[in-house]
Amino acid sequence: MKPPASTFSKAPVKFRMPTADNLVPIRLDIEIDGQRFKDAFTWNPSDPDSEVAVFAKRTVKDLKLPPAFITQIASSIQSQLAEFRSFEGQDMYTGEKIVPIKLDLRVNHTLIKDQFLWDLNNFESDPEEFARTFCRDLGIEDPEVGPAVAFAIREQLFEVATQSVASARESRLSKKGRRGFEYVPASKAGGAVLDLVKLFGHKSSVVRKRKEWEVYEPIVDHLSNEEVDALEAREERNFR
Amino acid sequence: METTPHDPTSKPDEPELDLYTIPSHSSWFLWDEIHETEKLALREFFDGSSFSRTPKIYKEYRDFIINKYREEPSRRLSFTDVRKSLVGDVSLLHKVFKFLDERGLINFGAPSGSNTSLVVVEDGEDRSRIKIESVVPNAVRVGASPNSPKPICVPPNVVDNAVESGFKFLPLASYSDVFGDLVKPKGLICGNCGGICDSGHYKYTKGEFIICINCFKSQNYGENRSMDEFKLNECAENKGSNGAIWTEAETLLLLESVLKHGDDWELVAQNVQTKSKVDCILKLIELPFGELVLGSAHKYGNYGGLNGSMNGTKQVQLSSFERHEAIRLEGQCHEQINEREENGDTVDQGHPSKRQRIASLSDAGSSLMKQVARISTMVGSQITAAAAEAAVTALCDENSFPREIFDVEEDHISNGLSSPTASYEAERLLIAVACHSLSFYEALLLTETANTPHKRDDIPLALQIRASIATALGAAAARAKLLAEQEDREVENLVAIIIETQMKKLHHKIKHFEDLELIMEKEYAEMEELKDCLLAERIGVLQKAINAGISRWRDHSVKS
Repeated sequence: MKPPASTFSKAPVKFRMPTADNLVPIRLDIEIDGQRFKDAFTWNPSDPDSEVAVFAKRTVKDLKLPPAFITQIASSIQSQLAEFRSFEGQDMYTGEKIVPIKLDLRVNHTLIKDQFLWDLNNFESDPEEFARTFCRDLGIEDPEVGPAVAFAIREQLFEVATQSVASARESRLSKKGRRGFEYVPASKAGGAVLDLVKLFGHKSSVVRKRKEWEVYEPIVDHLSNEEVDALEAREERNFR
Repeated sequence: METTPHDPTSKPDEPELDLYTIPSHSSWFLWDEIHETEKLALREFFDGSSFSRTPKIYKEYRDFIINKYREEPSRRLSFTDVRKSLVGDVSLLHKVFKFLDERGLINFGAPSGSNTSLVVVEDGEDRSRIKIESVVPNAVRVGASPNSPKPICVPPNVVDNAVESGFKFLPLASYSDVFGDLVKPKGLICGNCGGICDSGHYKYTKGEFIICINCFKSQNYGENRSMDEFKLNECAENKGSNGAIWTEAETLLLLESVLKHGDDWELVAQNVQTKSKVDCILKLIELPFGELVLGSAHKYGNYGGLNGSMNGTKQVQLSSFERHEAIRLEGQCHEQINEREENGDTVDQGHPSKRQRIASLSDAGSSLMKQVARISTMVGSQITAAAAEAAVTALCDENSFPREIFDVEEDHISNGLSSPTASYEAERLLIAVACHSLSFYEALLLTETANTPHKRDDIPLALQIRASIATALGAAAARAKLLAEQEDREVENLVAIIIETQMKKLHHKIKHFEDLELIMEKEYAEMEELKDCLLAERIGVLQKAINAGISRWRDHSVKS
């Protein structure tokens, strides 16, 4: 089953972050001499690269980390930016693409589980604003939660985008043999793309059935100190 | 809509009536429609850009979110509460949610959340809130029409009484639809046909009830009312304020149209436009010479070159002329004029020196005598002279005064003049004398002084005065006569033209008949020719038959 691509078909979208701001999620996890530095933030790929070194120096200075971290941080950012830029200019996907985003993260004492749909063609979407609303609605006071949620969304979007580029390339190659088949099968287009006809067709309602509500409901847990310690210990173990 | 589970709980099925509040700036909202405001704010649903963004989906989102809020209006609905139940892009859902929230369609009046910016918005909206009555989400609502600045409040007792749930407005009922009847119209409305009584109305004397003139005429008095119980109220009563004020232009227009149409007030009022029929009549009566204009308008028509006021004075003069027993003068003047007419002078030709006197005289006031004098100076010098002479003669005859006293004077003046115009000059002077004496007469009347210095003591003052009066009246009469004759001539002329035209017509007809006769004759000749031709042919045929030897046939034919 394919969506009526004819009515809503578009030119292929060039690779970028499918959000309003083209910000690249950067995750740092560096360990030098038993000191571990973990951070996550977004970076504007159009900023000059000289900013990276400045940022690294500044961070190290602010956090009073050993100077060895500077180069590590800078190179990590650079490599992630390079990866992002390697996709730029390539076709990403054609037509409708709505993907489920699943959140499962812990920020300090807050545990968040959630899932929702994200339209990759909506270039007005703003993960940061979504995160703000999320925190406000759920009464989360920890200021670190919002950026973490937004970052998690961006990370997943980035992943979907890169996968789409890869599959688009694939389908282009395979298309050479066949003729006139424009449509890229949803399943091949990367990620768990939803069956849009089933969700948005004329027969179905966009209102979910009541039993599904719980699935898409955000779950927020506030952990005690002991639980956090236990979880961190477990994560530490997994990391090693 | 069927697919939308409005309220999954059993709440909406209960006959419970809830009062929902939305701000007046969102009064465009209708359950069954998508308003332009929505289309503008959420364009992506309406440009057909995406399979997952259609008007239908928008409506489902909207309806669900609003219904969700109304399940528990006292509680603030959050986006996170909503999005778990809706399929779709969360960013898009958030946009819809934000739109509804900003417009007050949801969370209006609900306790504000921790967000301070929202609190500010709520405060701003508090001022312009309206009440909305709603039974089930799809029920009929009461909203203020967009152009009514004040929000309306549905009285709570309507809601409290569940039995009164039959009290419903149409879905598209506007403020004026619902409450229009309560607004008292400015003008008077006919109680029968509902029309506005512009041109007066009949008032029911036994209560508050009026009907328009049309209804009165067609005898629609309404039930239980008879004709006698109605009193006519003219519209002039209503328009008293604006009827009293007449501008100069309007007055002029009125006079003009009165002269033109006479007392056909419909036409006059039509001409004046800004005033009603009654106003016109009232104004004309108020005017100092109004009645005279009315009287003269028909009798004399419109004199060329005379405006309304002049016409009026003329009338005064003529009527006063009639009062004086100077009719006999007319006969004399008549003769004189006939003589003068040979000169071919037109009446309107005036003498410059006379014109000057007109000005000086008209300054003096508006007494009858002065007006007479003024009128007399209006006419031509010859006529005046003739009138003066006639007057003098008449006076001499009457009082057996020696004509010499005038003649002496005349001679005395004409002595110094040898030109053919001498007599004219003399006569002009006489008129001057008359006018002078007239003003003296006025002075006499006013001051009651018996003796006044007079330069011409040799002629008794009384005689002078009489002479001058007679002169003036005679001159005026002459002018009237002249005008009448002019009219006569004109009529004659016209009649002649008519006769001529008729003659022409007859001539044409005669010519036409002659032509017809000619044609008939020609045709007759042609017929004769044809007859001869046929006869000849027949003879020819018979001849041939004889030659061929068909004697029997010939015999037969002869026999038969």
